[in-house]
Amino acid sequence: MAKGESPLKQFEVQPIIDINLFGFDVSFTNSALWMTITTLFIIGFFTLPFLKSSKTNSIEDLYPSRLQVASELGFNFINSLINDTIGKEGKKYFPLVFALFMFILFGNLFGMIPYSFTFTSHIIVTLALALGVFIFVTVLGFIKHGIKFFGFFVIPGLPIYMLPLLIPIEVISYLSRPISLSVRLFANMLAGHTLLKVFAGFVSALGFFGILPLVFIIALTGLEILIAFLQAYVFAILTCLYINDALHLH
Amino acid sequence: MPQLEQVEFFISQLFWLGVFFVILFLVLTYLTLPKIRAFLNKREEFVQSHISKQDELIKKAEQLLENYEAKLNEAKNQANKIVNEAKESAMVESEKLVRATEEKIQNEIKQTEERVSQEKNLALSELNSQLKESASNFISKITNFDKDNIKI
Repeated sequence: MAKGESPLKQFEVQPIIDINLFGFDVSFTNSALWMTITTLFIIGFFTLPFLKSSKTNSIEDLYPSRLQVASELGFNFINSLINDTIGKEGKKYFPLVFALFMFILFGNLFGMIPYSFTFTSHIIVTLALALGVFIFVTVLGFIKHGIKFFGFFVIPGLPIYMLPLLIPIEVISYLSRPISLSVRLFANMLAGHTLLKVFAGFVSALGFFGILPLVFIIALTGLEILIAFLQAYVFAILTCLYINDALHLH
Repeated sequence: MPQLEQVEFFISQLFWLGVFFVILFLVLTYLTLPKIRAFLNKREEFVQSHISKQDELIKKAEQLLENYEAKLNEAKNQANKIVNEAKESAMVESEKLVRATEEKIQNEIKQTEERVSQEKNLALSELNSQLKESASNFISKITNFDKDNIKI
């Protein structure tokens, strides 16, 4: 980072190829580039180890390679997450949760590479993902329960005179789901990366004593990697919980 | 903050997010995840089949052990029987031997006793005749009678 540059400069979107589609500017930007890398990496990481043809049923074919063990770890992680939150019906939603978790996780992790771009630090991206989940869950609720889905806002076992107060609260909390979901991820990424850049600025400003913020940055990088996992996990588990709510109401 | 200032890239970001997320979702749904699941199922089946095979083998081994123990017990019983029989017959034999020996000894004692009594009688009768002779000699000397005429 050059002197005087804002720590927020890293979040700037820069067009790489200008594309105009039906009058809309859909330029291929650095954001799109890192989405490409993330998507290709996820597909490669989880598909390549399983592409080996194993016609015979010998034990050598069933013995996983190292890469495969890593892929299986991710698969089993999401599998147990869905089993714990939704149960057996959750199998249908496995690809969605898996794609969401991996897309956010590797988006966050690739964002930790210096000079890369973190697309999950953009509110428009996280909001789109969260709204997608929100709309999907709402539609799912109406498909499963029809008009009864509005019963979701009525807490069972509550005295009637409390309903006028609590139904609006429930509705507001339901509608704020996509906002909390998207802002949580966006703010975490934004804060972490900004903090890293601010302390990186101290390193060059302090000269020899810059070693202190440097050590701090190293520790902070570890924390950021943890947060990258954590936020992807939170996003995935909340998606699971929302799906579970839509399937079972209360 | 570029996130809120660069409004001109919102559509571009949304467009590419949609494109790549849909690609990712479709590839995962129709290619990657079925492949992983199929593989895991295959391995699970393999392991399960081996576990059931193992159970069978364990059962077989247990049966073999049972058979072995039964046969071992049978053999032990038979051995005990043989030993007991041998002991009994040995006892009978030894008793017989002891009895026979005792009888023999008794016989010998009896014979010896008989011989002793015979010899005693003989000695007594000899002594008697000698006494008679000496007595008749004595009397004939005193009385001058012919000793052959003296009757005691």
